[in-house]
Amino acid sequence: MKKGMERRCGVSRRLKNKLSSLDKRILNRLQEDIPFVERTWQAIAGQLKIEEDILLMRIAFFKKKGIIRRISAVFAPRKINFASTLIAVKTSSNNINKVARKINFYPEVTHNYRRAAQFNIWFALVAKNKKRITQIITELKKDKDIKQILEFPAVRIFKINVKFPA
Amino acid sequence: MLSKLDKKIISLISQDIPLVKEPFKNLSLELGMEQRDVLARIKSYKKNGFMRKFSASLNHKKIGFRHNAMVVWNIPDKLVKKAGNLMASFAQVSHCYQRKKAPDWNYNLYSMIHGKTKQECFSVIRDISKKTSCKDYRVLFSSYEYKKSAAKY
Repeated sequence: MKKGMERRCGVSRRLKNKLSSLDKRILNRLQEDIPFVERTWQAIAGQLKIEEDILLMRIAFFKKKGIIRRISAVFAPRKINFASTLIAVKTSSNNINKVARKINFYPEVTHNYRRAAQFNIWFALVAKNKKRITQIITELKKDKDIKQILEFPAVRIFKINVKFPA
Repeated sequence: MLSKLDKKIISLISQDIPLVKEPFKNLSLELGMEQRDVLARIKSYKKNGFMRKFSASLNHKKIGFRHNAMVVWNIPDKLVKKAGNLMASFAQVSHCYQRKKAPDWNYNLYSMIHGKTKQECFSVIRDISKKTSCKDYRVLFSSYEYKKSAAKY
């Protein structure tokens, strides 16, 4: 591999190559529900035919490296009476990082991405109700760095399945 | 419908659980509940569909999925269901939502496509475009992740 190429591929490629087949089995298993039992890791370790301590060590390593962001429950916001939406913002490329920081300031913001388009910031919100979403949009609309803001509430969900084969 | 206790449990388990041998024991101590009751509630959230899953969230870039394209499609209303189900059938599509259109934004179907290369994303997009006969779409690759966190309940 040429030097420039290696730099472009970055950390992720090298890290990926370092994952053993056991690591991949662990990561694939952990993307499914953990068992709802007292010794959940022991149960998973049993399924993978490894020692619980080995599993815990590997999970700690994946977390340290940022491969695993967290192990947590994911709820359907609307089913538990929360509101969620997707919002697009148009701002100048000079202000984009500043605007993104202001958006991130809201704890309700779960995802926030810069995207190569006229609407160059896209973020998702989960808030306690619709009123709170409207309030956040109203506040952002007052920001002189934001040229335009659009909201795209979901009408129907066809798929949510964030699983990545390791 | 949700009790105060349910809200406390949901708030707690929506964040990273402790990496200890009995994580639900730690959580139950924090909640002042019996561990078996916490586990029973968690099972009930899964059963009634409140909870989608209880699992690890990975940083997809770090396992090689370096490209993520949000593709927005303009699909005629009566074909949305069919197109949405088609998009959902692709392994590379992690999310597919129908969303409200907006002024100057004539797109109603959104698909999130992940690939190890941009080419992989484009090949899925071409395939979807062909199968849905939809030529009116836009591809928005993410160029920077400003935030990705768990919802706070």
